[in-house]
Order: sequence, then C-alpha cells, then structure tokens
Amino acid sequence: MDVIKTKGVTKIYNPDKIPVYALNGVDLLIEEGEFTAIVGPSGSGKTTLLNIIGGLDRPSGGAVMVHGQNIAELSDNQLIDFRKDYIGFVFQAYNLIPVLTAQENVEFVMLLQKRSKTERQQRVAELMDAVGLSDKMDRRPSELSGGQQQRVAVARALAPKPTFILADEPTANLDSKSTENLLDIMTRLNKEENMTFVFSTHDQRVIDRARRVVTLVDGEISKDERRD
Amino acid sequence: MVPILAWRNLWRNPTRTLVLIGAIALGVWAALFMTGFATGMIKSYINNAIDQVTSHVQIHHPKYALDQDVRFTLDQPEKYLARIQENEAVKAAAVRTLANGMISSAKGARGIKVKGIDPADEAALTGLDQRIVEGTFLEGKRKNEILISRSMAEKLRAKIRTKLVLNLQDLQGEITPAAFRVVGIFHTGNKPFDEAHVFVSRKDLNLLLTHTGEVTAGVDEIGHEIAILLQDASQADQVKADLQGAGGKVETYREISPDLELYESQMSFVSIIYLSIIMLALTFGIVNTMLMAVLERIRELGMLMGIGMNKAKVFFMIMLEAIFLGLVAAPAGLLLGISTIYFLGKYGLDLSMYSDSLEMYGMSSIVYFDVPMKVYWQIPVFVGGTAILAALYPAYKAISLRPVEAIRKL
Ligand SMILES: Nc1ncnc2c1ncn2[C@@H]1O[C@H](COP(=O)(O)OP(=O)(O)OP(=O)(O)O)[C@@H](O)[C@H]1O
Ligand SMILES: [Mg+2]
Repeated sequence: MDVIKTKGVTKIYNPDKIPVYALNGVDLLIEEGEFTAIVGPSGSGKTTLLNIIGGLDRPSGGAVMVHGQNIAELSDNQLIDFRKDYIGFVFQAYNLIPVLTAQENVEFVMLLQKRSKTERQQRVAELMDAVGLSDKMDRRPSELSGGQQQRVAVARALAPKPTFILADEPTANLDSKSTENLLDIMTRLNKEENMTFVFSTHDQRVIDRARRVVTLVDGEISKDERRD
Repeated sequence: MVPILAWRNLWRNPTRTLVLIGAIALGVWAALFMTGFATGMIKSYINNAIDQVTSHVQIHHPKYALDQDVRFTLDQPEKYLARIQENEAVKAAAVRTLANGMISSAKGARGIKVKGIDPADEAALTGLDQRIVEGTFLEGKRKNEILISRSMAEKLRAKIRTKLVLNLQDLQGEITPAAFRVVGIFHTGNKPFDEAHVFVSRKDLNLLLTHTGEVTAGVDEIGHEIAILLQDASQADQVKADLQGAGGKVETYREISPDLELYESQMSFVSIIYLSIIMLALTFGIVNTMLMAVLERIRELGMLMGIGMNKAKVFFMIMLEAIFLGLVAAPAGLLLGISTIYFLGKYGLDLSMYSDSLEMYGMSSIVYFDVPMKVYWQIPVFVGGTAILAALYPAYKAISLRPVEAIRKL
C-alpha cells in the first residue's frame, strides 16, 4: 500500500516578493515499511518536502496523498487531527513538552486520541522499553541528554501507531554514539513493527543505514536509489 | 491533560507568576479595604442619623411636615405610644413636642428647633443621656431645664447654670418668651444636628405652648412626633404598614430623610466601582504576562499543534493558565482582605485626627469596616472575568501561529 504519494509538488516561498522556488515538481511514492532517507545539499528542499508530506505546510502546486487522503481537501483544524492520527513527527529539536515527564510526553498524543488508560500505560511501557529508557520514565526533558530526548521523541511519534514517521534531521544535534543508538532503535522498530520511516539527513553514517535514498537537488529529485 | 499542562506551565517561571498573583491578591485586598471603608463610613452616617435624628419610623400629624406648624399636634399620642411599644419589632419609642424658635443669651441669639422630650423615653430611644459631656441630663429637679450642645454653648458663651431665653410661638400663635437654665451640655458628634437642636422636658415645653390659651386639660398630652427605634432597620416598612392609621402619618427613615436612601443604595455598588477600577488596572498586567508566556513558547506551541493538539485545546490551555492564576490569587486576596475587614470591623479605624471634618458630615471618627455579603461573590466573578478577558488576546495569538513557521524558528 502507498502511504505517501506526491504528484508534481511545487513550493514557492514569498510568491509576491522575491519568490523562492523550494520545490519544483516532486513525484514521490513511499510504500508501507520503507526506511527512506531524503538527502541533498543544504537548501535543496528536504525540510520543505517533509513539511508538505506531513501536512504542516501546503504545497503551491501538485497533489499530496497521505494514507489515501488528499490533504489539500482538509481544513487547518482537520489537518491537525489528521496529523494526530496518522503521522508521527520527530523534529530536530524542541520535540518534547518541557513540563511533562518522558512518559507523559509519550502518552500525550494518545491522550489527545482519548485512548484508554490501560492501553496507554501498556504502550508507554512497551515503547520506553524499546527505546531503552524504562528507567527514565519520570524524568523531565531537561533532565535527559539530547540523545535520550530524541529517543523519547521517537517513542512519542510511535505511540499513537501512525501510518508513518517523519523525522527532519533527527540526529543533527547528536554525537555519533547517540546517533548509532537512535538508528538502531529506528531500524528495529522498522523491522519489528513494520513502521514506515521517512527522514532527512546530512550524516553519511545515517545515509549508509537507509534502505532507500532519495536525493534532492534544487527542489527536484535527482536520484532515487533502493538497496534491498 | 490540558488542565495539568496549564497548571504546570503556570509554574515554569515561578517568580513571574508569583509577582502577578501577588498583584492580583493585593488588588482584591485593596478593593475589599476600600469597600469596607466606604461601607463603614456610609453605615456610620446612616446609623448616626437614625440613632440621633430620624429613628426608624416617625409619626406626625399629616400636615406637620408641610410647615412644621406647632398647631398640628398628634391626637392622643400617649395612647398610641402604648400600643406601639407592644409591637415586637419595636425596641424603643418616644413622644416629642417640637417647636421652632430662637434661643438667646447675653452674647447672641440663634434660630433653633426645640425638642420637648420625656427624658427616660428619649434616653432609651437615642441614648441622649450618654452624650452629655458636661453637667447632667434632664433630671426634672427644677422647672425649665435645658440641654444645649457644646458648639451652641461656645456660640452663646453659655455654661452650666447659664440662663438662656427661648422665644417660641405658642399654640395660639403668640410669641412667648421663657427663661431656661442650662443643666447639661451634649455632644453627639453630628455637627449640623448639634447646632440646630436644644432639648427641654416635654412637660415644660407643653406648658409654654399653652401659656396664653385656655387649654388646661390635657396639657401633658400634647405631642408632635412619635419616634420609633426598631430591633432591625429592615423591619421599617413592615412596622410602617402595621402602624398605618395610628392617628397620624407614618414615615420610615428613608422617607423622612431621602439622603439616607440614596446612601443606602450607594452602598450596594461601591464595591463594583472599586473592583472595576482595580481589575481594569490588573488587566494590563495579566495581558502582558500571558503574552510574554505565549511568545516565549512559540516553538513549543507550534510543536504541540504539529503533533496534533488542536486549536481549541491550545486556546483552552492558555485561558486556563490565566484562570488558574486568578484561582490562586483571588482566595489569597480574599483571605488577606477578610482578615483586615474582620479586624477593622471589630476594632475600627481611628480617624480622630479628622474628627472635626467627619462630624461636619455627621460621621463618627472611628470607622468600623463593613462589607456587604455580596462582595464575596463579586470578587471571584470579577477576578475570573478579568483573567478570562485578559487571556483572550494572548490565547488568540497562540492559535494564530502556523506550526510550520513556529517550528522553523530554530
Ligand atoms: N519560510 C521560508 N521562506 C522563504 N524561503 C524559505 C522558507 N523556508 C525555506 N526557504 C527556502 O527554501 C529553500 C529550501 O529550504 P529547505 O529548508 O527545505 O532546505 P533543506 O534542504 O531542508 O536545507 P537544510 O539541509 O539546510 O535543512 C531554501 O532556499 C530556503 O532558503
Ligand atoms: Mg532542513
């Protein structure tokens, strides 16, 4: 099944002033269970593409189908609900709610979804264990290292069982050991839960572990390489 | 979840939150203090007026109020007095004979109202015997004893035992002079009242009023006014209805002295005025703080909307932060205010320094603070309303953020 399908997606920033052509017709098909890295030089449009796929921003042209839904048809508020139920996000930084503990952060979206308490508790325990932070449940983000915070963010993104997870440079602020650790977790979840991951990165070690690498140059896909 | 989030967010910057809570609490306290003070002043004015001047209910000849002519006496006042005193609601009542006239000493003369009183009844009614600062109350030892106020004594340069001449119009319309001797000097603390009244015994005054006429029988029966003090001011209208047709025109203190009614009605909205002013000032503080709290959290709010927290919830969260602020601050201010009011209500605030000017307006120099009960629900309503109103704009600001822009500002 296609989880993401884009057709001729364009994005022009500041169309009225000095226009910036960030995306120039991107056709991309991502299937369930893929582990895809979006790479390319700085300014090539990686973040822009992920934001559009994730429904955080709207394209200037073209169509985006996510989980079979044309997201152009959704209002801003419907988009928020759509993101809540179908997309997990791992941002580069400021992922977590500082006043909530690690486990509350993981639980947060499930609470928004009004999942039952037992379901939430079970899922939180399972995911905190999966990211190796069972002993850090009650820590607030400020009491965790950058790598640990990103692992909590991955657990948080996975908790509501989204269709796929988007991560924009999730390892950019991490040292190599934490990067390895996060990638191990992501790879394992990809295999064990068949969770689809789409992430952007500059890091060669991260690129090396991707099963598919899409290269963007000047807002266009210049290379699409599978390594199965 | 949202309430927990809001509550914890409130304490992210404890100093800022505590300062704002302190400001709101202080505002509540100030509103209570000012309301307590104003209500205490007004009540003291009303109570003084009732105690000394109007009582709660008065009965006169229907025409007496028009020109205060001595001829408009009540019909058999003593008989009605007995009936009135049987009423459960009545605390004290007295018959008075009234006359307008002129009092003069060797040093000067002044226009005054003479109140002819039955000393024991009057003492029970107005406590005039407690207001004697020099000499004695009317003891009836001699004929023609008179009580004058301290300020009158100064004006007439009169002392105890000074002889003063009263000139009155009697029931026949003849001007009748009579000599009275000062036995006591009173001071009620109500300057306008003190300067306008003298007291003599009703028996003496009645004799004087019938001086030239043939009236001999029923001289003791003459009276112009029955003044009635009740157990409670709120019974005034009921008692008025009960006494209707008791041989004269029955009026409550509100009718006798319409300014009292005005003051009474003012009491009910002084608190609203003070609360409005203070809460208006606080609004700016709350808006400012909440706006700061929103703007420094732009990224986080963007992230929250990014991962699926909808705008209604974000809006509600910001509103709740302000409401919690009020929920902590209002009780703190109330507690502070209630204890202040309790203390100043019991012991009073001594304004003797200004007693001269207070007496000019008929007020006591010690103000006993008092707040109407309804203030205790007005305060939560006002503080809550202010918090909600002040948070509207910051909350609107928060939901008009676009998540992608907020997140990008890394
Ligand atoms: N909000 C914006 N307004 C105007 N131009 C923008 C905006 N966001 C991005 N751009 C421009 O769009 C182009 C694509 O930016 P984007 O952030 O998608 O690149 P990127 O591949 O993620 O780069 P990096 O690797 O540095 O993160 C760039 O030229 C950038 O300057
Ligand atoms: Mg980027």
